[in-house]
Amino acid sequence: MRLRRILVPAEMTARELARRGLALGLLTALPLAFYVASTHSGSDAVITGGIAMAFSIAGASIFIAMTARPVDQRLTLAGYRPYELLLGRLLLLELFGLAIAGLFSIVMVFGTGPQDPWLLAGGVGLVALTSVPFGLAVGSLVPNELEGVLILIGVVGVQLTLQSTQTLAKFLPFWGAQRLLQHSVEGTVSVSAALPASLAYSLALFFAAAYIVHRRAPVPVSAAEFPAPGQSVPSA
Amino acid sequence: MSPETAELPDLGAAAPPPAGAADLEVCSVSKSYGDRLVLDDVSLTVHAGESVAITGENGAGKSTLLRICAGLIKPDSGHVSVRGRVGFCPQEPGLFDLLSADEHLAMFAPALGLTREQAIREGHALLAEFSFPTAERTQCRRLSGGARQKVNLALALLGNATVLLLDEPYQGFDHGSYVSFWEHVARWTAAGLGVVVVTHLLEENALVEGVVSRVVEMNITRCEEDPPQ
Repeated sequence: MRLRRILVPAEMTARELARRGLALGLLTALPLAFYVASTHSGSDAVITGGIAMAFSIAGASIFIAMTARPVDQRLTLAGYRPYELLLGRLLLLELFGLAIAGLFSIVMVFGTGPQDPWLLAGGVGLVALTSVPFGLAVGSLVPNELEGVLILIGVVGVQLTLQSTQTLAKFLPFWGAQRLLQHSVEGTVSVSAALPASLAYSLALFFAAAYIVHRRAPVPVSAAEFPAPGQSVPSA
Repeated sequence: MSPETAELPDLGAAAPPPAGAADLEVCSVSKSYGDRLVLDDVSLTVHAGESVAITGENGAGKSTLLRICAGLIKPDSGHVSVRGRVGFCPQEPGLFDLLSADEHLAMFAPALGLTREQAIREGHALLAEFSFPTAERTQCRRLSGGARQKVNLALALLGNATVLLLDEPYQGFDHGSYVSFWEHVARWTAAGLGVVVVTHLLEENALVEGVVSRVVEMNITRCEEDPPQ
């Protein structure tokens, strides 16, 4: 695996993302709007705003995965391996997500004044970390953008409505982040399983995305039956 | 719904190899989409230095056959063998809307083992032959249909492909570019490439007759081949 085969797709993803000025603005404004709208509920605003960041980063990842899909077949045919394209996008989107998470953490730390600001930043960072493979997996799986957005709204929406102590919440991808965010403002829940759960979920989602793109990749055509140059050609 | 190959079981083997060894061999390929049989036991051989035009009505399976040859679709039965690398130009340009032609060339470079400079230089040379304004850095979404198709074609030709699979690659071309395309097919075959072109427009341009080695017609019910030229 040559690094250039990962860095060039990452670079082109960055260029593509940078040209979506309006979309980038909306992606940044969306979690901010959730946070501001829920400030009346006190510390819950941090959890709501933090988890809502998944809309932004997973949304961007879904659109990147879906717009790349028709070109990826040609790129794979030309010689890329599907996971190289996926890793390139993952790398760039994680950097983008962590940058957004950093900015958003600063806003929420100054806006809410949590007990543990570092834990808040960690929770927002975990949302970013998990959102990218989640978006790439959904974007690789669904046939159209509409279905992808509906899945995103469904999963993140359900996570937002549940308490982290509820059983169903533990099976959703942003549970670990939710625990950290909750603990950062209330200090009442255990966070020992938060990081392992988020990492495990992120890895599982990435491998799911890798499996889907691998399945969709062109089937290598055989060259084994051809004679060496200069030898006779078998009739068909 | 399938090209019947019973009368012509070996489309490529009907004539002796015109030049060199086989570049592409399709053996008894069948493909269905649900209940609809699109290809039924189709065989085709394309030799180095040979150009084959595949014609036929809509739904005859031309694009499906080409996509199977490229490895983009798995056939239900039969197999395809290719010597060397395939250059595939799909009917619908698969491009990133927000990237320019140069950025596409740069994106393809690592896959083809080229440096970015090599890919852009080689791509510009190809695009210039089809009067594409290579000095501009326009995003693909702002290009005309014909210009997008030229980028699409250039990406298929980039690198050292031995077999070109071109699915109506001239859509949106002006007349000059269309004529130039068929002149290029003659050049590519003279250079030893195997070229397969899916086309609707053979009858409309007399110059095509002197260019293609063979015409394979795919109908809903049968598949026929013109004598080699």
